Amino acid sequence: MMIEAEHLAMRFRMPQERVSGLKEYVTKAIRHKLKYDEFWALADVSFSVRKGEVLGVIGRNGAGKSTLLKIIAGIMKPTRGTLKVAGNVVPMLELGSGFDSELSGRENIYLNGAILGYTKAYLDSKYQEILDFSELGSFIDVPIRSYSSGMMMRLAFSIATVVNPEILIVDEILAVGDEEFQKKSRARMAELMAGGTTVLFVSHSLSQIREICDRVLWLDGGKVKLLGGTEKVCDAYQENLAPGPAPQKGKRP
Amino acid sequence: MENPGVKISLRRGCWTAMAAYLLLAVSFYFLGGDQLRHRDDLTDWLTPTFQIGEVTKGVALEQPFSPGMDTFEYVTVLPGTYARKNTSTVQIQILNGDKVLGQRMWNAAELSEGSPISVGADHPAAFPKGTMLTLRITSPDAAPGNAVTFDCGGPPASSAERLTYAGKTADASLCFKVGTRKTLWFGTYYWRLAAAFGLLLAFYCLRLVRCREKGKNSLGLRVIDACTRYRFLIHQLVSRDFKTKYKRSVLGVFWSFLNPLLMLLVQYVIFSTLFKQDIVNFPVYLLIGIIAFNFFSESCSMSLMSIAGNASLITKVYVPKYIYPLSRTLSSMVNLLLALIPLMLFILFSGTRVTPAYLLLPFGIFCLVLFCLGLGMLLGAAMVFFRDTQFLWGVVSTVWMYATPIFYPEKIVPQQFALVLKINPLYHFIRFARIVVIDGVSPEPKAYLLCLLFAVGMFAAGALVFKKTQDDFILYL
Repeated sequence: MMIEAEHLAMRFRMPQERVSGLKEYVTKAIRHKLKYDEFWALADVSFSVRKGEVLGVIGRNGAGKSTLLKIIAGIMKPTRGTLKVAGNVVPMLELGSGFDSELSGRENIYLNGAILGYTKAYLDSKYQEILDFSELGSFIDVPIRSYSSGMMMRLAFSIATVVNPEILIVDEILAVGDEEFQKKSRARMAELMAGGTTVLFVSHSLSQIREICDRVLWLDGGKVKLLGGTEKVCDAYQENLAPGPAPQKGKRP
Repeated sequence: MENPGVKISLRRGCWTAMAAYLLLAVSFYFLGGDQLRHRDDLTDWLTPTFQIGEVTKGVALEQPFSPGMDTFEYVTVLPGTYARKNTSTVQIQILNGDKVLGQRMWNAAELSEGSPISVGADHPAAFPKGTMLTLRITSPDAAPGNAVTFDCGGPPASSAERLTYAGKTADASLCFKVGTRKTLWFGTYYWRLAAAFGLLLAFYCLRLVRCREKGKNSLGLRVIDACTRYRFLIHQLVSRDFKTKYKRSVLGVFWSFLNPLLMLLVQYVIFSTLFKQDIVNFPVYLLIGIIAFNFFSESCSMSLMSIAGNASLITKVYVPKYIYPLSRTLSSMVNLLLALIPLMLFILFSGTRVTPAYLLLPFGIFCLVLFCLGLGMLLGAAMVFFRDTQFLWGVVSTVWMYATPIFYPEKIVPQQFALVLKINPLYHFIRFARIVVIDGVSPEPKAYLLCLLFAVGMFAAGALVFKKTQDDFILYL
């Protein structure tokens, strides 16, 4: 088993009334009068993923998909439940979040790579590959504040996908850039996901889920609605979608 | 982590640590010098207000005094010559009852108005509490008009310290200083202490290697693993901070040199003309204060924002959160080290003596950095939960600046605020650096202990708070 999650629960708290100042805050905190609205983004989620398996995660907005991914990526600690993750996790949640606009593309490759947990030797050996894939050419030595958004995304994608992780977490298939680059990036993603890596894949595109996943986890209101074979879950989800708009869920902080 | 490479490098690391400790322990003994073994104290004298009158043949001047609690060494007095050439001789004796502890003769021609002369005890020794010695000044041959006199002041420190001149006791006292020397146990037991710590270190290294072999977990191993694992990331973050700081400025990295020098210029002009202070080597005194406080305020304000300001990163990628304040403190440290270059140039040009004691400076810097790292972690964590922290900190750091003797001498702090100085860690770090650089000697052992205690204490407190709260950061970002 690469991932074993048992009874995962995640609670967010929002102060109920607006506290207007430090004094009021302190006096209330001392008397334990601070009231919170509790919001369980995840309530009792259990599942496990075998090595090399591709698990799709589907659900409406606010069902707890991103929270689940963040917990598995180690960004959040669950309020309750246990989680066992065997192997290094590479999260592809948002591209280029570690970029520094003052630095050149080359410097950002090393900076962002270090943040994603790559070693210097690894980045040195993969540098040319990243550069070639991003098609930036001589722009690599220009500060990235002068990049177009397309160039920035191409660079970020190239850095993020150069890895060979044991567990890959993907929030939506990342298709960036022009049509040519999109085709290339889709191929790279497919290659990554097919290469024996364990993948957790969140998407709103059922066709992509059907195409790639071995099993599917359907989250609804922070609970597991259905977990099973791709076809079965996707069909059930589609039926459930059809009747009308989903009821409004509470907002998260 | 069962790979042989790590095991070998841990062993090698342990050997390196032991060798480094041995080298440090031995070199510290010689760098620290006399300051580690004993402390010399000198009492203050009364302000001279009058001169007692000629000490002629047959007229004795006797001054009782307390030799203090430590080893008594010598007494210093201030002669007066009536602005004429005297040809007589004068004798000063230190007496314990009838026993002569030490004596010395001068030709009056050697003495000049207001330049102090000292008499030492032949065998420096400590006296029981309450002992009073007597300073007896006589002349075997001086005639009136050819004798010297001595500066006096009043009232005496106690009624027992009233002087007797020509058989009459006056309500005044000679102006004198008592020099004593205190033997410090640190110096006496230095080698035993060093050996004990060496043994402890060796045992700990052994334990680490054992733990690694058995695959057991221990704090030391986790720290070592984290250091090797995140070294590249920390290096990248520090070089990012450094590169972006001066990226679009024309002078670039020169600002690291220029900034403290310009501040020195401004403050020097203000404080050497408007508020005159008699501080030895004022420019260097001031520059040390400026550099240390600059580092303190820069690293703390950067660490303060390190968590809240990196919210976009923290919510997306897992990186141990202590990396953020750590990398910020380290990049400030790079600036601190760069600012030492103009300090050293300044010292060379101003003619201050460069001594081997300068090698002790890294200890002070280490303590300062550790202290700032701890405080930075505390502030960074507090900032996540209370955004008011940044405004509060602005006020606190200003107060802190005025509470630290950066541009004023520590002597002008009134007695009732002495405690403020004593509990101000920055004062101790800056004082350490000033003793090393300006006096060119090692500070007393207590100074090391205080610096280390403040640094380790703050670091422990900051790290503890940070560790306890770090899992909740993400909920408040």
